[in-house]
Amino acid sequence: MALVKTPKPTFAQKLKRFFMVDLLKGMGLTLKYNLGAIIDKDAVAGKGIYTEQYPKVRPDVAPRFHGAPRLNMDPETHDTLCIACNLCAIACPEDCIDVIAMDVEIVVAGKPRRKKVLDEFIFDTSRCMFCALCQEACPTSCLELTQDFELATYSRAGFVWNREMLEQGRETVKYTS
Amino acid sequence: MLLLAPVDVLNELLLRFFSADTVNYFIWPLIQIGLVVTLVALWVAYATYLERKISAFIQARLGPMRVGPWGLLQPIADGLKLLTKEDFIPEKADRWIFFFAPYIAVASAFIVFSVIPFGPDWAVIADVNIGLLLVLAVSSVGVLALILAGWSSNSKYALLGGLRSSAQMVSYEVAMGLSLIGALMFSRTLSLSGMVAAQGSDAIWYIVYQPAGFLIFLISGIAENNRAPFDLPEAESELVAGFHTEYSGMRWSLFFMAEYAAMVVVTAVATTVYLGGWYFPFVYRLEAAGYHNLYVLVSVLVFLVKASIILYIYFWLRWTLPRFRYDQLMDIGWKWLIPSALINIVLSTIAVFVVQALNGWRGMQTIEALDRGLNLTATGKGVMIAFGIAGLFITAVLLARINWRSRDFNLKTQRRNIRLVNVPKGKPARA
Repeated sequence: MALVKTPKPTFAQKLKRFFMVDLLKGMGLTLKYNLGAIIDKDAVAGKGIYTEQYPKVRPDVAPRFHGAPRLNMDPETHDTLCIACNLCAIACPEDCIDVIAMDVEIVVAGKPRRKKVLDEFIFDTSRCMFCALCQEACPTSCLELTQDFELATYSRAGFVWNREMLEQGRETVKYTS
Repeated sequence: MLLLAPVDVLNELLLRFFSADTVNYFIWPLIQIGLVVTLVALWVAYATYLERKISAFIQARLGPMRVGPWGLLQPIADGLKLLTKEDFIPEKADRWIFFFAPYIAVASAFIVFSVIPFGPDWAVIADVNIGLLLVLAVSSVGVLALILAGWSSNSKYALLGGLRSSAQMVSYEVAMGLSLIGALMFSRTLSLSGMVAAQGSDAIWYIVYQPAGFLIFLISGIAENNRAPFDLPEAESELVAGFHTEYSGMRWSLFFMAEYAAMVVVTAVATTVYLGGWYFPFVYRLEAAGYHNLYVLVSVLVFLVKASIILYIYFWLRWTLPRFRYDQLMDIGWKWLIPSALINIVLSTIAVFVVQALNGWRGMQTIEALDRGLNLTATGKGVMIAFGIAGLFITAVLLARINWRSRDFNLKTQRRNIRLVNVPKGKPARA
C-alpha cells in the first residue's frame, strides 16, 4: 500500500547494521584525528592540528600575498633606488600614490644638468587594494609590496605612510607569551 | 618507600595523643575524606581540561593553550573566574529551592566516593557491605536536584530540561541496575572491595564474563549522566542550556562539577565491577615483598588509569556521535537496554547453572572455590567466556526480532503509512 517503496536492505547491509559498522567507522575517524593531533602529523595531510598560535608564532602567508608597501634602498650606499619617475603613481588604479620630486643641479661631464630626485613619497594604504601594479611598473624595483600584513592603526591619518615609514618599515610588536 | 615514611610517623604521633580507637575510627577517616574530596575535586577540574583538549584534538584544534604550559592552569583560571562572577537569582524564581538545588547535585555525586575502593587497605574510606546498592541509591538522588533546579528557575527552558532529564534518568536507572546483577552473580557480594577481591582471586576481569552487561552499563551510565549523545536535557539548540539556564557564577559551576563528578562515579563503578578495580596482576608482588604503602599507591594509580580509559570513551563518544531524538532516546532505553539487561540476567543465570552442573560431570573440574566469589578453573572460564560472547549475539538477535517494527526511526515513512490506513482499496492513494 505504501506509495514510496523503501528498498529492503540486503544481507550485507543487515550485517553492517548488526555489527554497527558505521558507528565504529565514525569512532575510528575521531580516534585517528585525536592520535594524529597528539603525535602532531602534518596538518595538510588532514590529521594534525591546524590552529596557528598567531601572536606567538607568525603565520606563513601565501607566496602571492601582497601586504605593506616598502621603498627599497641600495644595500651598499643606503640611497633610495627611487628615480622619481612617477610611473607607479600613473599605474595606480586607486590613485593612492603621490611622488614628490625636486630638481637638483648636478654636473655631468663638465656640463651642468638638472636631475629629478625623490623628495617625499606618500602612500595611502587605506585606499590601496594591493594589486601590485605599482610594483610591476617600477623600473628600478624600488617599490615593493611585502608580505607584512599588520596594517591597523588608531587613526585614519595613520594609514597614510610617508617616505620614512616606507623605507624603515613599521615596528612590529613581538609577543612573548 | 621513603616517600611514605611520614604516614607511619604521623600514625605514631597521633597514637601518642589519642587512643587507638580515636585514631583508627575518627582521625584517619577524616584525613582520608579530606584527601579523597581534594583529589576528586582536582580530578573533576582536570576532567574538564581533558575534555576540552580531547575535543580540540578531535577537531584538529589546539584547545586551551594560554594559561600555563599547554594551558594546564586553565581549570584554576576558570574556577577563579566563576567564583568572582555575580550569583544571579531571577526575580520570580523560587529562592530557596534555587539556592539549594546545586548543593544536592554536588552532594549526591560526591557522597558516592565514600564507598569506592580506590585501592586496598587505607585507600578506601568505608568498605560497606552494600556498597553497590549505596552507589545506585545515592547517585539517583541527583535527579532530584535537576528537577528542583528546573522547577525553581521559573523558566520554560529550564523546566523542560528538568522534565526531560528526570524522564531520561528514571528510565535509564532501571537498565543500569539490572545490568549489574550479572556481575553480582560472579562476585557473590555487594561490597565493592569484595568485588575487586573476587576478581583478583579469580584472576579475571568481569568484562570478559559479562561483555553485554558492561556495554549496557556503559550506555546507560552515559545516558544517566546526561552526556552526549544523550544530552537532551541540555540540548543547546532546543533548550538554551536545559535545567541550568538561569544559573550563573559559582552555582552554575557546582552543577558543572556535579556532572563531571557523576561521570567519574560511573567510570569508577564500571572499573570496580567490570575492569577489576585496583587489581592488577603484578602489584601483588609488591605486597609480598613487604612494600605495603607502595603497593597501595601503585594500586590507586592502576585504578586511576583504568577509570581514565573509560572517561576517555565518554569524551570520544561525545565528540563522535550526534544527539538522539527524544523518541529514539526512549526507544533505546525501554525497548533495547532494559530487555537486553533482562536477557543478560537470564543468560548469566544459565551460564552459572551450566558451570555448576558441569563440575564433576565426567571428571570435569570447573569450580575452584566459592568463598571469595565464584572462582573458576580454566575450563570453567572457557565455558563462561563462550557464554558471554554468545550472549552478545543472542541478545542482539532476540531484540532485533522483538523490535523489528520499531527499528525504523524514519518518521517520514511512518507518517505516510499512518495516512494511508483508511484509503479505500480501488482508489489511488495520495500521500
